[in-house]
Amino acid sequence: MAVSRIFGAAVKRREDPRLITGRATYTDDVRLSNLAYVAFLRSPHGHARISRIDTSRAKSAPGVVAVVTGQDLAGKVNGIPTAWLIPNSDLKTPTHPPLAVDTVRYVGDAVAAVVADSRAAASDAIDLIDVEYDPLPVVVDGEKATQPGAPQLHPDVPNNVAFRWQVKGGDVDAAFQSADVTLKQRLVNQRLIPNAMEPRNTVAQYNPATGDLTVTMTSQNPHIHRFLLSVILGLPEHRIRVIAPEVGGGFGSKIHCYPEEAVTSYLAMTLDRPIKWTEERRENYLATIHGRDHIVDLEVAAKRDGTILGIRGRCYANLGAYLSTAAPGVPTILHGLMMTGCYNISALDYEVVGVFTNTTPVDAYRGAGRPEATYAVERLVDLVAAELKLDPVDVRRKNFIPKTAFPFTVPSGLSYDSGDYEGALDKALQMVDYKKFRAEQSAARQQGRYLGIGFSTYVEICGLGPSVVAGAVGFQGGLWDSANVRVHPTGKATVFTGTSPHGQGEETTFAQIVAEELGIPIDDIEVVHGDTARIAMGWGTYGSRTTAVGGTAMVLAARKVKEKARIIAAHLLEASPEDVVFANGRFQVKGVPERSKSMQDVALMANLAWNMPKGIEPGLEESSFFDPSNFVYPFGTHVAIVEVDPGTGVVTLVRYVAVDDCGNVINPKIVDGQVHGGVAQGVAQALWEEAVYDANGQLLSGSLMDYAIPTAESLPSFETARTETPSPVNPLGLKGVGETGTIASTPAVVNAVIDALSPLGVRHIDMPLKPEKIWRLLPTA
Amino acid sequence: MKIEGSYNIAAPRPLVYEILRDPKALQECIPGCQELTLQEDGRYLARMQVGIAAVKGSFSGHVQIADEKPPTSYRLRIEGSGGPGFAKGEALVNLVDVETGTRIEVDGDGQVGGMIAAVGQRVLLPAARSLMNQFFGCMQTKIEAAARG
Repeated sequence: MAVSRIFGAAVKRREDPRLITGRATYTDDVRLSNLAYVAFLRSPHGHARISRIDTSRAKSAPGVVAVVTGQDLAGKVNGIPTAWLIPNSDLKTPTHPPLAVDTVRYVGDAVAAVVADSRAAASDAIDLIDVEYDPLPVVVDGEKATQPGAPQLHPDVPNNVAFRWQVKGGDVDAAFQSADVTLKQRLVNQRLIPNAMEPRNTVAQYNPATGDLTVTMTSQNPHIHRFLLSVILGLPEHRIRVIAPEVGGGFGSKIHCYPEEAVTSYLAMTLDRPIKWTEERRENYLATIHGRDHIVDLEVAAKRDGTILGIRGRCYANLGAYLSTAAPGVPTILHGLMMTGCYNISALDYEVVGVFTNTTPVDAYRGAGRPEATYAVERLVDLVAAELKLDPVDVRRKNFIPKTAFPFTVPSGLSYDSGDYEGALDKALQMVDYKKFRAEQSAARQQGRYLGIGFSTYVEICGLGPSVVAGAVGFQGGLWDSANVRVHPTGKATVFTGTSPHGQGEETTFAQIVAEELGIPIDDIEVVHGDTARIAMGWGTYGSRTTAVGGTAMVLAARKVKEKARIIAAHLLEASPEDVVFANGRFQVKGVPERSKSMQDVALMANLAWNMPKGIEPGLEESSFFDPSNFVYPFGTHVAIVEVDPGTGVVTLVRYVAVDDCGNVINPKIVDGQVHGGVAQGVAQALWEEAVYDANGQLLSGSLMDYAIPTAESLPSFETARTETPSPVNPLGLKGVGETGTIASTPAVVNAVIDALSPLGVRHIDMPLKPEKIWRLLPTA
Repeated sequence: MKIEGSYNIAAPRPLVYEILRDPKALQECIPGCQELTLQEDGRYLARMQVGIAAVKGSFSGHVQIADEKPPTSYRLRIEGSGGPGFAKGEALVNLVDVETGTRIEVDGDGQVGGMIAAVGQRVLLPAARSLMNQFFGCMQTKIEAAARG
């Protein structure tokens, strides 16, 4: 019987029926008896001293169980820690109290918590807490905060500089001295807000008789949250169970450790009642991390023929008011090291200044540092092309790392695993019919229409990552992952992963991997994730690591199962193990296909253990702990075609072509889905999204009415295609694809708009490219 | 946030000044004012119910009249906070004789924070103008009624 390959098949996502019929269980769906609800009072000031808090009116309000302030938690709940202590920097880690004690440092900083019998009672009682604030001067801009005389956020952090970090490789001075042309450009990578569909949520339950705390929460990494909660609460790790049930998207924002989950847990422990916290959407805008927010000054050195010799620059990375969990690593390790992109640029000198400001903390948001790097490099390449009057495609091609050069070490020290950058570019050019477009563009210009085309030939670092590197770059954790494959007596399997997918579709792709390996139907495989009590250990889902690391652990565990099963099968077939092979989903005696056993036959015998080969243990269950030898480096070419309305400055995205290479593809439908969502987010940064603070630290874009999330109406149908260059880092040749869309698309769109406006002499416009900004540059204005 | 306005009232300046300054008139004319009590320090303790865009809620705070130069000018200071956030503002209220009576000129500056700032910012200036127009419209009715005796 021929079995068609399930690896590579466009299997429909098995997660979706429950998600789209309302049958999924999210944290907020958890109902426990005697449940109480907590709500947080948040600072309306960007920066202020708390001169007095009076909770007496709130305490006596109907239904209120308890009210706590920062003072009440002092010595009982530890500070919120940072888990990425970057080396070779002067990183300062000021205390981040779970509730503000004497100073609030951003609008949304939690000041007090009210526990009540109902969510409404808790919310109402929040308004009854009287707080007197003495406002302090505010700074929201990452560069201005470092200037003399700027308001100071933390007493032990002079000039608000959390760290200075530098990456240097090659001879930058020589590159600039030998250049025919050098260019300078300031690029602002505006602050964004992740906006996961489900805001954060926590239900904490404590059993005083056993000392066990169970925290159901919106987490991308339950084991990391368990460890950090243990540190914050002083509770032994084995007494804490963290469950991430259905999680409605994260985009990075649910990696991090926040005050609310810890305070909710502490209140459950002390009040002897299970407690739920449900973040409201407008709270989510203030209290959940933001992303990006870089001000970058760059210089590039090039030869007249377009060869780029070197890049140097400085980045002010706005970190917000406190160091979030991974905050120091995002603009450094995940950003600075990628500042030469997919090009053979031999010299780099780049400094990153991490800065505290009176804003919501900034941390990893889909792409995390790499979109900012790709934006900078891809804009620079276009600026060089424009200056030298060369075709931006030719400049890219001239500087690509050639496909024969891999593994290739870039000046930052990273070693790119594999790539064929020209292959992806050629495919994209063919799809857009580049020559024809340029002809159409010139004809349109004659008619006063502004058409533009923009390229982004990106590479990104993901599949985080080798644990030895994690340690070397100061990440306070490992980056390997685990899998367990358990085959039940009936031949059905339950498999466990230490990663924690939350919408990406690995329940489907991991089942495909196991089905392919074990020759059992995909519907007979259950994928379990997101529970520290059911899964040995794992580091979670972020950095497009789930498939490249967790998926590899899964295939290795399945292969161990298969090998044990082969030995048992040989015994049952009365053949020597060397003569038994796994083919077409069955264990067969070589050359005698009619003598065979299915995985189901073997599973039954392994679990009954009536007749086992000598020295083989009963059961059919294996684990794998996979630590990759390197990161993986997906790449590709994205092309945007835009038209700018000469009357209004409105940009219409006319076509979008994405050619991605994420190595071997397990499920093309899921890869397309990841690319589509990522592109939508990246296009939105280019054109619409922007977190805006006023000078007093008030977040002006603090709701779905004010923050411009893309809608289907604003986007064309994306055209996706792939090249497949397997990664040598893992046995399935996998790379990641969770973030490529956001990393690639932003500069493609901006480059297209600048190309459209190039007849007007426009060289650069900072994002988002709102109609007003463009309209002011138009001759009709 | 800067806010300016002027209102012509058919009444003599001293009467305009007197009523603008009258606690009872203030309480009746400050939009949403539920309580206005004179404190020992000369400030008024105020409770107000205010809605801007989708954000509605009650504020408590203080109203103070300072730098009084009767019957020409005074400074009005308002600050309050509550569930929807905080608001504070200061306005110079200046009275000028005109042919038809008195012109009230207002030159103010305000600041808001918290939810009102996040959600209501786009409509804040028109909303503030509307509140100011309501206040002076109410005062105009009272003053002109008093002038007519």
